[in-house]
Amino acid sequence: MIHAEPMPAAVRLRGEMADIDVTGLVKRYGDVVAVDGLSFSVQKGEVFGMLGPNGAGKTTTLEIIEGLRTPDAGTVQVLGTDVLAHPGTVKERIGVQLQATALPPFTKVREAVQLFAALYQRSRPVAEVIEEFNLEEKADVYTDKLSGGQMQRLSIALALINDPDLVFLDEPTTGLDPQARLNIWTVIEGIRGRGKTVVLTTHYMEEAERLCNRVAVVERGRIVALDPPRRLIAEHAPGTTVEFANVPGLDVETLRKVPGVERVVADGRVSITTRTPETVLHTLLDPSAPWAPAEAGGGEGEGAIRDLMVRHGTLEDVFLSLTGRSLRE
Amino acid sequence: MNGFRSFRALAVNEVRASVRNRTALIFTLGLAVLFMIIFGLLFGGNGLSVTFDAVNNDHTAESASYLKALGDVSGVTVDSKSHTAAFADLKSDSVTAILVIPKGFGAAVLRTGPAQQVAIYQAGGGSSSTAIADDVVAQVTAGFAGGGHASVTLGAPQAAEVNQVTEMDYMLPSMIAYIILFSGVNYVAIGLVEKRVTQVLRRFRATPVRSSTILAAQVVGGGLIVLLQILVLVAVGVWVFGAKNYGSWLLLIPPIVLGTASFVGIGFLITSVTRTSEAARALAAMITFPLMFLSGLFFPISSLPTVVQDIARILPLAWASDALHQVMNDGAGFSAIGTDCLVMAAWAVVTISVAAWRFRWD
Repeated sequence: MIHAEPMPAAVRLRGEMADIDVTGLVKRYGDVVAVDGLSFSVQKGEVFGMLGPNGAGKTTTLEIIEGLRTPDAGTVQVLGTDVLAHPGTVKERIGVQLQATALPPFTKVREAVQLFAALYQRSRPVAEVIEEFNLEEKADVYTDKLSGGQMQRLSIALALINDPDLVFLDEPTTGLDPQARLNIWTVIEGIRGRGKTVVLTTHYMEEAERLCNRVAVVERGRIVALDPPRRLIAEHAPGTTVEFANVPGLDVETLRKVPGVERVVADGRVSITTRTPETVLHTLLDPSAPWAPAEAGGGEGEGAIRDLMVRHGTLEDVFLSLTGRSLRE
Repeated sequence: MNGFRSFRALAVNEVRASVRNRTALIFTLGLAVLFMIIFGLLFGGNGLSVTFDAVNNDHTAESASYLKALGDVSGVTVDSKSHTAAFADLKSDSVTAILVIPKGFGAAVLRTGPAQQVAIYQAGGGSSSTAIADDVVAQVTAGFAGGGHASVTLGAPQAAEVNQVTEMDYMLPSMIAYIILFSGVNYVAIGLVEKRVTQVLRRFRATPVRSSTILAAQVVGGGLIVLLQILVLVAVGVWVFGAKNYGSWLLLIPPIVLGTASFVGIGFLITSVTRTSEAARALAAMITFPLMFLSGLFFPISSLPTVVQDIARILPLAWASDALHQVMNDGAGFSAIGTDCLVMAAWAVVTISVAAWRFRWD
């Protein structure tokens, strides 16, 4: 049994209380441990990202904090209230967007906003919210006729109907096309701009890097790293990554011995981490290099390198370096 | 807590969504009206038409006037036959039923002998017209016994009191029962499982609204949809098809409410043993369709094999159907449908309790 430490009184007295305070959170489903002793806090006004592959425990953690699930152990304080003891109080002051867009059938956009407005003691004017999320044209359309991006905008609008201090967005852009994703990012930046605290889960690196003040890298129900994106990259994915298409017969072991190469990961693509990209590239592009596969080396002036890409570290690399796994596998 | 505002918003949304769901409406209200049209055309006309063969073992003035009273009901024909001839007629389907007047009938009417019972025989695969025949005989007989002082003769006025129950009159309560059955199961219970599968319930639960409010809104919203459909059905039945209600409209409320509650309970039970809404629908169809044919909606339960009758009489639809027919066709009072209501209430309490205990939010 994990006994969580209550928040020190001194912290409370200074009025520096975090919007979310999670200690020793554990959730099991039968033999599966979905959340394995998570502890973290989210400060007021910050956009807090939870990054991890499907099944890492992000959604379960979020749903416990939202008061939708009961943990097996741990404590959760949200906006200064114990969620497990007073879920209703907390729910009144938070906004929630669930991963699956779930709205009652045969309901039009305006009606959905009106319905959710009626579920809170305090709510913003329906027309104002519809306008803010650019849904006026779709206000009298059934929700199931909306495009993915419109649906997601509505879903976020419903999460903000009670003018919450704290907003949870569970994978807000999953399954959207790039245009719609960009649109949602602008929406989330708008929420951040109004000083609201946002917790979002994602498995898109660009999303976390662009939107989040801090990112928790979650794997198998644990937080393996928690920092601002830049610091995560500086710590766990320093240097430059050189990537190219993998070819059969490529000798990875010899490649690892090339001067300056720090790490080689080879699957669909070969990805080399280095702090001296110039030297490494020079060696790589040498057609007589000893690591090159036989058939490619025998070509007429053609090296084994195709689809070459040189880039700086990203959160993707952070995840790879921390867990040895790719995020989207 | 602003519980009522949330409840009202959820219930209104539920009713509005159900009214917009044409497919489901066609399946309940649409089919009910269609059944009335079909049966109306098949057995058409407003007049009652039943033929009896009477086997009179009594041969007194009383039995003769009893048969005359019956024959005086418009649309009813009574022929006196020998036992053998009567059963031959029944076998060849040239009569609706056979009445056997026992020896001592006259003495019983005059209160000079022990009570006697008139026996009625019908062919096996009965239709709703045999049920009507039952009704007519039952009422004439009741009238006869009620006037059982020696001085009373059986005249035309008593016969006129008989409700001339037409096919439409019979079908209207049947179709009310049908709507109760299908709407209770489909709108309330399956509606709820669909909201569970599509995570709508989960989304509602992420708001401050209480779980009990969500469930209450679903049940009350579903109940309103049942009432709305019944109102439309009754309006069509009465104004378009000329169906009559011989009883009290208000007295229809207890069987409608209790019947709906018991089918909501059965629906909840179905949804607690199924994961997907497709599975719930399939299981619901497997239960509701046989129920519909076993419960006296299209032909009386008495025409079913005894074993099947016993099963049918356990299920709540038979009680709902019985109560509705008694009120609307026989003009029965509350005392006559008390048992029906008690049984339905018991069904509702048991099924809803079990469902509440087994309920899953996700």
